[in-house]
Amino acid sequence: MRSYLPIARGTFMVGLVYRFGFLFTILGNIVYLSVAYYLWRSIYRYSDVIRGLTFNETFLYVGLGSAVFILLKTYADWYIHYEIREGLIANYLIKPIDFQLYNLSANFGSLLMNLLAITLPTAIMPGLVFKVTISPGAGLFLFPISLLLAFLISFSIDYFIGLMGFYSESVWGLSTTKEIIVTVFSGALIPLQFFPEAIQKVLYWLPFQAIYHTPLMMLTRPQQGLDIFLPMMAVQLAWAVILFVAARLFYNQAIKVLRIAGG
Amino acid sequence: MSLIHIQNLSKHFKILNRREGLGGAFRDLFSGNYRTVEAVSDVSFDIDAGEIVGYIGPNGAGKSTTIKMMTGILKPSGGIIEVNGRPPYDNRIRQAQIMGVVFGQRSQLWWDLPVIESFKILKEIYKVDQKTFDRHMNMFNDLVGLSALYSQQVRTLSLGQRMLCDITASFLHNPQVVFLDEPTIGLDISVKAKIRSVIKELNSERNTTIILTTHDLGDVEALCHRIIIIDKGKILYDGDIKKVNALFGAYRTLKLQLDNFNETTIQILNDKLCERFGTSNGITVAETEEFWTDVTIDQARTPLSDVLNFVMSNFPVDDVRIVEISMENVVRKVYDGALG
Amino acid sequence: MRSFAEYLRLYVIIETQYIKARMQYRADFIISSIGMFFSSLATLGVFWVILGTVPSLAGWSLMEMIFIYAFYMIAISPMQILFDHAWQIRFHIQQGTFLKYYFRPLNMMFYYMSEMFDLKGLTQFFVGLALLIYASIQLNLDWTFARVLLLVITVFSAALVQISIVVAASCAAFWVLDSYPVLGLAWKLREFSPYPMSIFDGAFRFAFTYVIPIGFVAFYPSQLFLRPEEVSPLIYFSPLIGVGLFAITYWIWTLGVNSYTGTGS
Repeated sequence: MRSYLPIARGTFMVGLVYRFGFLFTILGNIVYLSVAYYLWRSIYRYSDVIRGLTFNETFLYVGLGSAVFILLKTYADWYIHYEIREGLIANYLIKPIDFQLYNLSANFGSLLMNLLAITLPTAIMPGLVFKVTISPGAGLFLFPISLLLAFLISFSIDYFIGLMGFYSESVWGLSTTKEIIVTVFSGALIPLQFFPEAIQKVLYWLPFQAIYHTPLMMLTRPQQGLDIFLPMMAVQLAWAVILFVAARLFYNQAIKVLRIAGG
Repeated sequence: MSLIHIQNLSKHFKILNRREGLGGAFRDLFSGNYRTVEAVSDVSFDIDAGEIVGYIGPNGAGKSTTIKMMTGILKPSGGIIEVNGRPPYDNRIRQAQIMGVVFGQRSQLWWDLPVIESFKILKEIYKVDQKTFDRHMNMFNDLVGLSALYSQQVRTLSLGQRMLCDITASFLHNPQVVFLDEPTIGLDISVKAKIRSVIKELNSERNTTIILTTHDLGDVEALCHRIIIIDKGKILYDGDIKKVNALFGAYRTLKLQLDNFNETTIQILNDKLCERFGTSNGITVAETEEFWTDVTIDQARTPLSDVLNFVMSNFPVDDVRIVEISMENVVRKVYDGALG
Repeated sequence: MRSFAEYLRLYVIIETQYIKARMQYRADFIISSIGMFFSSLATLGVFWVILGTVPSLAGWSLMEMIFIYAFYMIAISPMQILFDHAWQIRFHIQQGTFLKYYFRPLNMMFYYMSEMFDLKGLTQFFVGLALLIYASIQLNLDWTFARVLLLVITVFSAALVQISIVVAASCAAFWVLDSYPVLGLAWKLREFSPYPMSIFDGAFRFAFTYVIPIGFVAFYPSQLFLRPEEVSPLIYFSPLIGVGLFAITYWIWTLGVNSYTGTGS
């Protein structure tokens, strides 16, 4: 485990160089938040509660969602595809490191940097500018753990898609489709309560809602009891383990293809 | 009037000093610290039509900066530069019509298209009329067998084939000057020879001026009548290649792998050589790569064979290689005034 | 100097070849078109879901909103199809391959953008067109020849606005190493084009009309067809706005191209 820390530290420090980018991302988030504010205010003009959520809750959800979006959107698949295209994969395979753990550490380093540089500044916006408050509750304590689990799930999915690149060159469609599915069905854009009931039932069984919906609900309605949150986290944990292991197994298959086809 | 006229040319850049470490990176966030770099200073030379000029120097010498100014990409900070009577940065599109550029590292052809399609597109871009196009394509075919490659996509060509395509393509519109940057890099001997003969042929056929930047001495020896050496932004030598050739020929480096190599070995070797051959023997001893000792010999003063015999008889030599002098060493010697 | 007609001819020649070459990768073409199709449907789906929860959005009915969204999809297609190479500027500069664009006797933006022609963008265009027809039928819109002509002009202007905003943002790569977020911001902004400007307060409405005029990408033009009595006279200047904005973007591009010197010495 110790040998992976420098990798995380490396990507963390790389983030420091891109100071300009952070400013713009935060600016982008502010604009996004403002527009979302107006949009949802118009939507809530006719009723105080829609699908069980108040304006405050929905806006908080969307606002915090944009803050954590950068954390949970790993680029694991894009990086692996890039490295395959440029023939750089061989560099990693000859080193005595676990490919999955390597990618995880690298992405984790970026996560920490983004957390400090983007998420925290963005997260205070709803409270600071729009005067939306978070009520205290158990959810707030569980949130960090939930976020970590969400990261693991998102990473494993992206890593899996990345490995698909060993099989085919035309991965743009695959990555994009994955992104669409994850973004729409995870609750990254809107709380899942807005979807029709039938679809919600299906989504509950999929891992995607465990990425955004679960951790964000902990922040928007932290006062809900442990009896609500713990099962949700159990689902997260289950998916995190299943997907991590599945990706690991897939790696063993995918690497065989690479050995045949060449770097 | 010379085709390329450069007088007192200079160019400087402002570079950000990046500070080290975590703390330094944080400080960089708030205050930039710049320094000025003189990439090219007070450079002057004239090149006439039809010349093949080798423009060489170590990395960071100012080569590409000068080339960029000649091709109109960069504006000089001072001095005069004229290509075909005009400053190249004045009208890029017009200048591009009389110029050809080839990069050794990256192709300028369309990657996914068959070779012939790239040529056809270039025909349209450079407004080459059909007769000239056919004539040139026939010439290219005679020279390199281009028609065999017509239907192959550029991305599927071998490096050598791609280079040949890039080079011939750069002559399609009959430019007055062609800039070749590392045209033989990464190629094997036979392909290198082929490319050199193609360049020579095109130069004599069309009287095209050729500016060649390369780290490969073989290129220079095969093609150039004239050589310009640049280092640290200044011209060190501009003249006949024969003079420099003599210099190349005169120097050899004996690479030795000595048994029991330790920190005193270099000194002992040097002392022994001075004992045997005298103090102004033109021999320098240095350690370069791990465990290899370089003995550089000026053959005008001490014959290689004598040194080799002496070393083999008196020192435990595991392995030996004889190499020609490297570009860096040539320039270093020129800088030290070897050419006078 | 080349005339516009000559450039057009050259463009057709280059793109014909490019399309022929790409069509050889059938699997890639199909997969990416499907990906694009789902992408369009999904974003439309989210839009529909949100609107489904309210009777109207700032006075606009669901079907009217669908029309605006359809217009939006058509208007952003030219950017996707013709200027997709803008996303790669940052990579070309990082890897030093941008230099080659300086050496041809061609306008650089033309040469650079002509290297990519995004076929899958056509999927988005056709989905948008189908949606527009559907909404028009639902709304009982009357399509006279004059109105069709007006549609073409407004789409053209709207496309220019979208192209100008995104390409201008991509030019940040000429100056800054980490330019992606600028492009990302411009791309995020376009997501708000299909919403009625009336949901915004003064400052934002001003910004989206006069500063970064995403309002002209879908909403204001759609007003012409849906509620012509409500339009502001500005909309009749939209071709000028589109062209003017593109001129600014081109100027930014020229600045960028001139200031980029490449690495190394």
